[in-house]
Amino acid sequence: MSYLKKILKARAMGSFLFLVLLFFLVGCVNSDFWQPISIMNCFNDSVVFTFLAAGIAFVILTGEIDVSIGAVLGMSSAVGATLLRDGSSWQVAVLAAVLVGALIGLVNGFGVSVLGIPSLIFTLGVNGVVRGLIYVYTGGAWVENLPADYTKFSNQLLIGSLTVFYAFAIVVVLAAHFILTKTRRGKYFIAVGDNISGATLVGIPTRQTKIMAYVLCGVFAAVAGMIYTSRIGFITPTAGNNYEMKAIAACVLGGISLTGGQGSVIGAAIGAIIMSSISRILVFLGFSSDYDNTITGIMLITIVVVTTVMQNRAVIKTKHEILRARTAGSRGAQTEQAATEKGGSV
Amino acid sequence: MDRSVSAKIKKWFTSWEAVMLGILLLEIVIFAAKNSKFLMPRVFLGSINDIISICIISLFVTFVMITGGIDIQAGSIVGLTSIVVGVGWQDGGLNIWAAAGLAIVVAALCGAMSGFFVAYCNVQPMVVTLGGSFLFTGIALLVSNMSATESYKGISGFPDSFIKLSKFKLFGVLPSQVLVFLALAVVAYILLHKTKYGRKIFMIGVNQNAAEYSGINTRLIIMSTYVLSAMSAAVAGIVLTSYLGTAKSDLGSTLTLPIITAVVLGGTLSTGGKGSVVGTALAAVVIGILKFGLPLCFKVSQQYLDIPVGLLLLIVVIGRALAANPKVSTWLRGKQKK
Repeated sequence: MSYLKKILKARAMGSFLFLVLLFFLVGCVNSDFWQPISIMNCFNDSVVFTFLAAGIAFVILTGEIDVSIGAVLGMSSAVGATLLRDGSSWQVAVLAAVLVGALIGLVNGFGVSVLGIPSLIFTLGVNGVVRGLIYVYTGGAWVENLPADYTKFSNQLLIGSLTVFYAFAIVVVLAAHFILTKTRRGKYFIAVGDNISGATLVGIPTRQTKIMAYVLCGVFAAVAGMIYTSRIGFITPTAGNNYEMKAIAACVLGGISLTGGQGSVIGAAIGAIIMSSISRILVFLGFSSDYDNTITGIMLITIVVVTTVMQNRAVIKTKHEILRARTAGSRGAQTEQAATEKGGSV
Repeated sequence: MDRSVSAKIKKWFTSWEAVMLGILLLEIVIFAAKNSKFLMPRVFLGSINDIISICIISLFVTFVMITGGIDIQAGSIVGLTSIVVGVGWQDGGLNIWAAAGLAIVVAALCGAMSGFFVAYCNVQPMVVTLGGSFLFTGIALLVSNMSATESYKGISGFPDSFIKLSKFKLFGVLPSQVLVFLALAVVAYILLHKTKYGRKIFMIGVNQNAAEYSGINTRLIIMSTYVLSAMSAAVAGIVLTSYLGTAKSDLGSTLTLPIITAVVLGGTLSTGGKGSVVGTALAAVVIGILKFGLPLCFKVSQQYLDIPVGLLLLIVVIGRALAANPKVSTWLRGKQKK
């Protein structure tokens, strides 16, 4: 029972309910949407953003930000796709892409946690450099003529209409969630984001944790890049432009707080589904997909404003409760403790 | 008296603006040595249109960042402004100047909305302006669909008086865009460094609670900085539309990162409380000259220009981080004494 309560209270739950409500309402307008295949396609199409959002979730949970992941996606997929085109096996290509992602992540992590440069600025600079390097590497040309085996793989189904890629995404997201919430090192990420000085005081290696978050973020972006390569079938030098903003938006929609320490990877994955379903939903509602950005913007602002206002109210309410408990004298000692606990869970 | 002046001069030479000015001069010397065409005013000032939006907007995004906020929606407002001018003129039947005025009002409203959520609802500025950038890009597209012209073509055929705005040259040399930039830089400088309003912005950036308790209406002022930056984006949008002769909804979509780069390079702290208009203006010009000089003098392809700009940003922030590191700074001082 308490486990059920815990699930219901999780921040990702709001996003999940929102997703269900969204799908339900769209289905009410156009019942074609309720067919399993179209729902499944919403999930399958979100696979690239699921990986990007899950990766950046690590960084955001530690209280930092990474605006270079769009460029990382572009760079790693360019490297991987070039290898594939020149006849390497897919294992080699994926490994090379992941190494590129990890390397850029390492640079980001070093700059942010060792040199102590504000993360937005450092990753912004890295973003510019990597974007330029994509042009240098590809010579400004498209990477085309990829082996058909690899591009066909994106349509490979596992069970029913679930693609292998999305099944892989589900496994990875669940594994990441397990690591973040159940293992010792995983819990460090949220601890660092929640209160960095407190985490340092209790002996958590905050620098290492932040570097690790950036490396993981780079690796996830690289995996997203290889899936992107398979789905699209060619790589342009502008691949992944502005994806960083969409990934951040997905995290916010999934209930992750940009101040760090609050949220979950599962939330990020749900946010990614919402983000990438919007254009499909618009088609079912009979609108042109031109409304895509408008709807995304309105949703993002509404959700964030509502949750922030509610949160602020709850904080003020808790403060009042604590104050009342104190003024009630020694008799209120117990109530005070209860109120503090309540405040902690907000 | 004398001493204080010399101290002031000394202080200025060790200031961030001086470093920026040094980099700027270095750039000019290197580029001019490589290719003397670089110094021809016609060539030099003719390229101003590529960077004018960054220069204008970054001046006022500085205000936002000094309060401790961030504005990543300014780029999308450029496109919205442009298309509002176009649709207002072509399909709304407005006078072109009325359409431009309308565009500035629309932009101010956009800024006010984001500013309201940041200041009065305490939502993180990054998220609000991220949402704003999606929303305003989307609205710009919808507005362009209201027009009879297909959105990808853009609206053109503006009256001569509007096109002339960007073709005018003072003394036959200085393009009007430079004049607009200089005028706005002076306005921004006076607002931020010479008025009570500017002092309040700095105070909020240093400590918002303290500012609130000392009787400053911090929320209103924070909101106003977003309005200002949105209005500057509108001015940039109008200037750009006039120069291109076409109103398109996707103008400015790539400006977000260069704007933040210019502000940060100009010495503004992203945590707030510190920064200057002069620094931002110099940094914007440094970036602009880099983007103009490298292709002209070193035959660097346009597509590679993200690398030097990114590297410049990285080198500067790493340098500043190292200089602030106690170990490194004592080592440097020790070396100087010897």
